[in-house]
Amino acid sequence: MDITTEQPTEGVAVIALSGELDASNFESVIEAVRTIHAAGARTLVLDLAGLTYMGSSGLVAIHAAAMVMRGEEPPSTEDGWDVFHGLGHRVEAGGERPPILIAGAPQNVDRVLERTGMKRLFDTHPDRAAALAAAAGAG
Amino acid sequence: MDDAGATIAIDADVRRLADIRAFIRARAEAAGAEPGHRDDLVQAVDELVTNVIEHGYGERPGRVEVEVERAPSGLVVRIRDGAPAFDPSSVPTPRLDLPLAERPFGGMGVHLARTLTDAMRHRILPDGGNEVTLEKALN
Repeated sequence: MDITTEQPTEGVAVIALSGELDASNFESVIEAVRTIHAAGARTLVLDLAGLTYMGSSGLVAIHAAAMVMRGEEPPSTEDGWDVFHGLGHRVEAGGERPPILIAGAPQNVDRVLERTGMKRLFDTHPDRAAALAAAAGAG
Repeated sequence: MDDAGATIAIDADVRRLADIRAFIRARAEAAGAEPGHRDDLVQAVDELVTNVIEHGYGERPGRVEVEVERAPSGLVVRIRDGAPAFDPSSVPTPRLDLPLAERPFGGMGVHLARTLTDAMRHRILPDGGNEVTLEKALN
């Protein structure tokens, strides 16, 4: 999987993924999100258009990304998988949508988001341009 | 069309998941599976093998064997490992309606594998270890 990062406007970052996202590389996505958050980005467009496969590890990466973008620290797999999977993440109930816009998910990736109930928790857009326009409108 | 069964065996290492997916994809295409059904089977097998590596073996070394066979109903995939007994078909359906703040981290792999296939069965192998059998129609 390849990860490319851009910061087209102040406070907005785009992370584009291409190839296959699975258990071997999902943590590198979380690392990329940490980097752009540390650099000052507060809105993230996650461009999935180049993905040819996404395993459920990708859902973990997106969940962790939402926490990182809110300034929270996601659990680490180094604490063991039982601990990792057992944790719900703690934020105030009724919180707003995460500051992540998902763009361009191909059909087989979109299906994973849909079937696991993750899709309705994020703003999704057909492509990067639409997501960036929405991010600009919201900002 | 090649009707013979085929088997791939890998070390329990998430870096080998791409090989498992390529193997299933090729076998499903050789069998004439419709693309959506092929993708479903690739995802189901990837999720279950990921679980065997991450949870079954954990940090321990081990092997995972995946066999694909043609059947009147479509394709039958058997995933065999030497990890402690674990029946994925016994895992309860996760709640998909929770807000992000209350969702456990991960835990969607078995749910995806179960809902993307027509049947899932588990048995303990005579010499120990697990065999999970998946069935998927070609179209």
